[in-house]
Amino acid sequence: MPAEAAFDLAAVPRRQPLLTVEGLSLRLQDNRANIVDDVSFAIGSGETLAIVGESGCGKSVTALALMGLLPRPPIEVVAGRAVFEGEDLLQLPPRQMGEIRGDRISMIFQEPMTSLNPVYRIGDQVAEVVLRHRPVSRAEARGRALEMLERVKIPAAVQRLDEYPHQLSGGMRQRVMIAMALANDPQLLIADEPTTALDVTIQAQILELIRTLQQETGTALMMITHDLGVVAEIADRVAVMYAGRIAEAGPVEAIFDDPQHPYTIGLMSSVPSLGGRSGRLAAIPGMVPTVDALPAGCRFAPRCPFATPACSAAVPALRRLGSGPTSGHFAACIHAPLEASSAEAAS
Amino acid sequence: MTGSAPDIILETRDVSRHFGSQAAWFGEKRVVRAVDGVSLAVRRGETLAVVGESGCGKSTLARLLVRLIRPTAGEVLYEGRDIGGLSEREMRGLRRDLQFVFQDPFSSLNPRMTVGTLVEEPLRVHGMGSRAERRRRVDALLQRVGLRPEFADRYPHEFSGGQRQRIGIARALASGPKVVIGDEPVSALDVSIQAQVINLLEDLKDEFKLTLILIAHDLAVIRHMSDRVAVMYLGEIVELAETEELFARPLHPYTQALLRAIPVPTPHRRAAAAGVKGDVPSPLAPPAGCRFHTRCPLATALCSATKPDFADAGGGRFVACHYWQQAAAAAPAPHAEAHRTAAAQRRFALYRDRSEQQERLRTAAAAGPTTT
Repeated sequence: MPAEAAFDLAAVPRRQPLLTVEGLSLRLQDNRANIVDDVSFAIGSGETLAIVGESGCGKSVTALALMGLLPRPPIEVVAGRAVFEGEDLLQLPPRQMGEIRGDRISMIFQEPMTSLNPVYRIGDQVAEVVLRHRPVSRAEARGRALEMLERVKIPAAVQRLDEYPHQLSGGMRQRVMIAMALANDPQLLIADEPTTALDVTIQAQILELIRTLQQETGTALMMITHDLGVVAEIADRVAVMYAGRIAEAGPVEAIFDDPQHPYTIGLMSSVPSLGGRSGRLAAIPGMVPTVDALPAGCRFAPRCPFATPACSAAVPALRRLGSGPTSGHFAACIHAPLEASSAEAAS
Repeated sequence: MTGSAPDIILETRDVSRHFGSQAAWFGEKRVVRAVDGVSLAVRRGETLAVVGESGCGKSTLARLLVRLIRPTAGEVLYEGRDIGGLSEREMRGLRRDLQFVFQDPFSSLNPRMTVGTLVEEPLRVHGMGSRAERRRRVDALLQRVGLRPEFADRYPHEFSGGQRQRIGIARALASGPKVVIGDEPVSALDVSIQAQVINLLEDLKDEFKLTLILIAHDLAVIRHMSDRVAVMYLGEIVELAETEELFARPLHPYTQALLRAIPVPTPHRRAAAAGVKGDVPSPLAPPAGCRFHTRCPLATALCSATKPDFADAGGGRFVACHYWQQAAAAAPAPHAEAHRTAAAQRRFALYRDRSEQQERLRTAAAAGPTTT
């Protein structure tokens, strides 16, 4: 294992790593370049890791790989390990993965309607998850379903048990999904844009719910999102992904107060401020490269205002920044810190 | 709103749009009051944002403003003239002036037409220019929105979301409109592309002297782009104010809840408490009295009994709340800004300088060979 691969376990010394991903590389059939390329990170038990990035950065497909839900073909695992409680999730046969999924690791998605079965009652769907993994009776499972609906604060939970998904609002459906996901007390919850389809007042309710439940249960959370606001709201640590690679990673304060990678800075500059108008947005020019045209070297270089020929010569390593082995802040940019290297260039 | 001082280009007067479903198998006919008694005056040259959550009626209002749909009651006036009663023929002339940019550019672009034909279509429909002149104008428009003129021969599916939105914008600008209405024009785009399109819209607004009406749910985008904001809830406007005022001191409890609910990109202000409880009630059966009372922390018996007036709160502000004075006193603190380190601030400034410098170079390079 490369010393710096699991990017900052040192920063959370009191925590046991629950999941350690090392060198994960995924490839889309008939393409030479990896759509997820040498991605490493770890999640400690009880902590929240946010993976943030735009469409096509590889954040969702990474989650699907961990859950054994990759569409293969066309996507194949080229390299890497994902060790969860001593087992490599990437090597598990489908049956064993099925035992873990929904039990020790569960996942919620952006659009709950696609994960809920429209023809079954809500109570039955939540109970089904319990029955699948626990030696309990139907009545006990139904009791657990009711308990879970109450925990996710669904009003009139007893009546809701017998309703169908279409009878609920988007926010309530997402609560049902969370109830299902947490029904078996998983050690890890993977949430893929769980609030993106929701209105802002409902999003705030759901984020608050996730945060409260996480504190109560001690579940670790891997939050996948494109929204820097959501990241700031909920994460302990953050990995910023761009075009299949981690561009920057570290504790949430370091990422927001002291961002180092030009992509992170560009992303933050692209978000209009709630504090007031600040003239034109310093947008990132161009667009994310397509899978069949990924550039050599640093994949952000063609859009980066700091790029030099060296950037396209080699893939930049995810380097530890700051002093001391516990800084836990990493960036994959040969020019970091930018203010120092641009001063050099000027002199 | 009195109409005397400001120069009003587009206005609704007590306009409503109800969508009736045919009587169900049982029970009476059900009516969705998508927009209910909205009076709103748009000033020439401003950017007016209409904000609200799903189902608040903002998109219906946008369509009423350009008469993509007709009002059930009330008037829509363009340049002082009621456009509600005009025939389709008479409307066609007005469509040159009133253009629409949709959220999902792909679904609004005919997939079987080339980009050039799509952008040219409004010119052709309005009989503007000769064939050669139209071609030149299409080239110029494509270039202006940041697309290469040779893209004119390609089809919409060959483009990314951001590029499609640029095509949609070029098409909207083709006829030389005075008012452009954008219905969530950037919300389907990734953050970095969204910033590009926001910059483009702002530049074009200045260049073509447009009045821009922005329908959106993202308060940060609204804060950045608009001069005034109208907040909608369940088919009604509940607050109207200058943008700075609204964000510094929201008066309506719903506006306050919206502002509190936004997750702010700084980890130092956590637990943005959910501003309000519960869901938005169904527009099939909006609550009596103030429609927000079922979720409002300040609601009393008065609120469920009596609908509040859309009252003048002074300083060009209007608010529909019985208790706005109390609400204003309890307004949430303005949003915390980022706590960036000094080095990080230098980095952001460097990033801005360099990207602006490169943008100028790119623009110069793009303009170079094609200028005659």
